[in-house]
Amino acid sequence: MKTTILEKDGELVAVFEGRLDTAASVETEQALKPLYDCTGHNIVFDCTKLEYISSSGLRLFLSVLKNAKPKGSHVYITGINDDLRTVFAMTGFTNLFEFK
Amino acid sequence: MIPKLNPHGEALLEQYREQLPLLEQLSETVYNQLRQVFHEQAVELSAIECRVKTESSLAGKLERKGDKYASLEDITDLVGLRIITFYTDDVDKVAAIVQQLYEIDWSNSVDKRKLHELTSFGYNSLHYICRLKGGKMPFEIQMRTALQHVWSAIEHDIGYKGAVKLPPEYRRQFSRLAGMLELADDEFSRLRTTMTDYRRQVQALVKSGKLDEVLLSTDSFRSYLELRPFQRLNQRIAAVNQAEIFPASLLPFLSVLESFGLETLGDVQRFIDENSDNAYQLSLSQLAVTDLDILSESIGLQNLCLAYVLKNGGGVGGLKNIYDLLYGEHDKNEMLAEMMYEQASQLPFVKK
Repeated sequence: MKTTILEKDGELVAVFEGRLDTAASVETEQALKPLYDCTGHNIVFDCTKLEYISSSGLRLFLSVLKNAKPKGSHVYITGINDDLRTVFAMTGFTNLFEFK
Repeated sequence: MIPKLNPHGEALLEQYREQLPLLEQLSETVYNQLRQVFHEQAVELSAIECRVKTESSLAGKLERKGDKYASLEDITDLVGLRIITFYTDDVDKVAAIVQQLYEIDWSNSVDKRKLHELTSFGYNSLHYICRLKGGKMPFEIQMRTALQHVWSAIEHDIGYKGAVKLPPEYRRQFSRLAGMLELADDEFSRLRTTMTDYRRQVQALVKSGKLDEVLLSTDSFRSYLELRPFQRLNQRIAAVNQAEIFPASLLPFLSVLESFGLETLGDVQRFIDENSDNAYQLSLSQLAVTDLDILSESIGLQNLCLAYVLKNGGGVGGLKNIYDLLYGEHDKNEMLAEMMYEQASQLPFVKK
């Protein structure tokens, strides 16, 4: 699992590659740390190369959302494949995030 | 450009330059105090503005009427703040709070709202000249509604009070508009009171269980949600994987419930009672084969809506309609609807 944080057009973009499962979640949590310092930047989770997400991964996404929302930032999810979209729909998470 | 002043005016202007940092500090102090107290008292405002008079503006004033002021403290609007409320009732409330916070110089304060002739219209605000308790330097606080603010801005822009006197037909046009705005301000206040009463009535009806008497609306649905009507279903679904439930807003589902033709909270209650088992079966079929142990609070209501459509033969089109209403129309909604339909198609309650 590889996570890269970029700044693009004033937005913080987290690019995920691989499987975000329980084993990868500790490392990914560390990689997402810079997103917690966002001050009004919108955040984009680029999931184009994300193959799988577990509950631990969903919790990480939520944690970033919970931190960003009170600061007025939006958290967008982009590029999710059909399987991931189903996971988001089955858990009701589609109602929590904004999709691009 | 700074005009040429007499020696007294020049002396006052020099004092102003020396005191400018203190004036700016005073402006900031009062601004922050007001913001904090209105936040604490939950007074919703359109805006609070503050400014320190600029040197050129002060020089202009001193050129026109400099002899009137013996010292800088006699110029009461060097620091000015403006509190803009949404409703007329709130102007008085804001004024009462300002009276508590500061010493008011009543001899120089004006309620311009009361200055109009009975037979004419006009539109102005409440001006208080204040001092910090024990403070020396005065500052002015203007309080007005958003509509009064718009009126003042347009009046200033058009130059209604300028040197050129407007012909009577234009003055009459101004008066008519002022009257209309005054009436609109009063009506907005009245509407707020009516809406507050309505919300209280709805809350009382919801609490007493008379749900058939309450029409479905944003307000009534919000009150209904306080009863946590989806909690039992959510807990049942969460038990499938011992999942944690994450709070979520359920208000976006109102449009979906309305699209099903539900008109009262009683209809919503029956909708829950009649579809909960099917919503649970749907959730079970989806979640039992996963280890997903975190769910959004919207899961129960979401699956109630999906189950209702599936049970009534709405098929992929009906599911897509739900997603369109929740997330806006999007190509992906059809794909999601197809996947959900495929997953659910073997469930016994699904009408094909």
